[in-house]
Amino acid sequence: MPYKKLRIETLNRVGYILLDAGSRFNKLSITTIRELKRALAQVEADGEVAAIVLTGHPGESFAVGADIGQMLHFDSGDAFHFAELGQSLFAQIEACPKPVIGALNGIAMGGGCDLALACDIRIASEAVRIAHPGARLGIITGFCGTRKLPRLVGKNLAREIFMTSDPYSAQEALAMGLVDSVYSAAEFWPRVRAFAERVAAHPLLALSGAKRLLNAAEDTDLRTGCLLERETAAMVNFRPPAA
Amino acid sequence: MPNRLCTITADPGGIADLAIAGGAATQRQLLEAVQRQIASLSANQAVKGVIVRGQGEGFCRCCGVDTHTNPYGAGELAAFGQQVMFSLEKIGKPCIAAISGECCGVGLELALSCDFIIASRRARFGFPDIAQGRLPFCGGTQRLARLVGKSKAKEMIFGGELLAAEEAYRIGLVNRLYDDNELLPRTRELLERICSRSPFAVRIGGEVINAGYDIDLQTACLLERDAFALIFASHDRREGMQAFLDKREPEFKGE
Repeated sequence: MPYKKLRIETLNRVGYILLDAGSRFNKLSITTIRELKRALAQVEADGEVAAIVLTGHPGESFAVGADIGQMLHFDSGDAFHFAELGQSLFAQIEACPKPVIGALNGIAMGGGCDLALACDIRIASEAVRIAHPGARLGIITGFCGTRKLPRLVGKNLAREIFMTSDPYSAQEALAMGLVDSVYSAAEFWPRVRAFAERVAAHPLLALSGAKRLLNAAEDTDLRTGCLLERETAAMVNFRPPAA
Repeated sequence: MPNRLCTITADPGGIADLAIAGGAATQRQLLEAVQRQIASLSANQAVKGVIVRGQGEGFCRCCGVDTHTNPYGAGELAAFGQQVMFSLEKIGKPCIAAISGECCGVGLELALSCDFIIASRRARFGFPDIAQGRLPFCGGTQRLARLVGKSKAKEMIFGGELLAAEEAYRIGLVNRLYDDNELLPRTRELLERICSRSPFAVRIGGEVINAGYDIDLQTACLLERDAFALIFASHDRREGMQAFLDKREPEFKGE
């Protein structure tokens, strides 16, 4: 089945999921989220791919939340299912054994900001504007942002971002740890590709092990985390002696 | 009765200024005064947002040391102090600490219990009481470690030195840094902007962030999903989205 809201390209062991939802903003409609889930499953299953890049490149936006016109008519039940659908995409990104790099080419707002947060690493262009405008719309986010943003930038900055609904620049996002690196618009795409290819050149078993352990580090106590590390290292690092 | 320890000034726009001076005889006296003001701010429907700040020098500085005949007394004071901080955290409206000078001990505990801290370049932060063998007791060890990380929190608490504003900003203890004369106008401006957003969304968002921080990702996301669904039943949500589509400013009612 073809995709309407995105394209997939594969090059040098990197799978690129290029969002192109048909408007300037890459709205995360129900259809777009479903296609993202399907695309992720496809790239994950592709034996030629060791790392995944999620981006709105070369468009103007990374992604924004749902279509407000569509959401206006949601009742609580619709909102419940919408949150579940979005969260299931983000759980899929987290569970994906391949590193998922968010290449933030432009506007990342609301659900789009949460999509960025769901990625393992975020690389941003100078053009990026990040915001969580829920409080301006009278809502909170439903895509795990209330949990993920405070863990990434600290509780107080997260509260500021949600409470003000204001947009933040790429440099501000970098200073607070919301993105991991920032490049000029010209440098951005070559740097994303270079980094993704560098990651993808490493053995997938080690990458998946590292991803699993680092995700677990956030949710487990130190002893349990170390136990998990021992088991994973035993499997990944094992080299039989030459016969 | 000496000078009043805390005063509230509220403007017609609903921004309340909770100014806390130094000079309390004991920490208990200070905490009791703060507790009364928090209760009245929380109950007052006309108050939309709160700025917590010092008054002159020595925000929250106490003249005397609370003494107890046995550890139970100190434990009881800690229980009371923690309760006061929880009531500030749950005040139900946006609350920003604006710090222009020294912010130590109970003062830092109070600032840590606000939504976030804004400071002037002269501000200094710390828990110096370690020098007398005393620990933060109003939840400060826990809130500080969650905000700046375990390692920075240990550096601050073991060392007992006061951190300069720039450093506090760098490690994320302070969200924004301004010149002294700009601090209050900028804080007010920011708080007014926050108060123009949906009060319901601001409050629920803050509560979900707090609740979600200490639990695992899956449970936190369940909580968020349910809060997200709940908020769709609010007047403000409909108004906010309609205003967005009409390209006008929303008129929120907080319901």
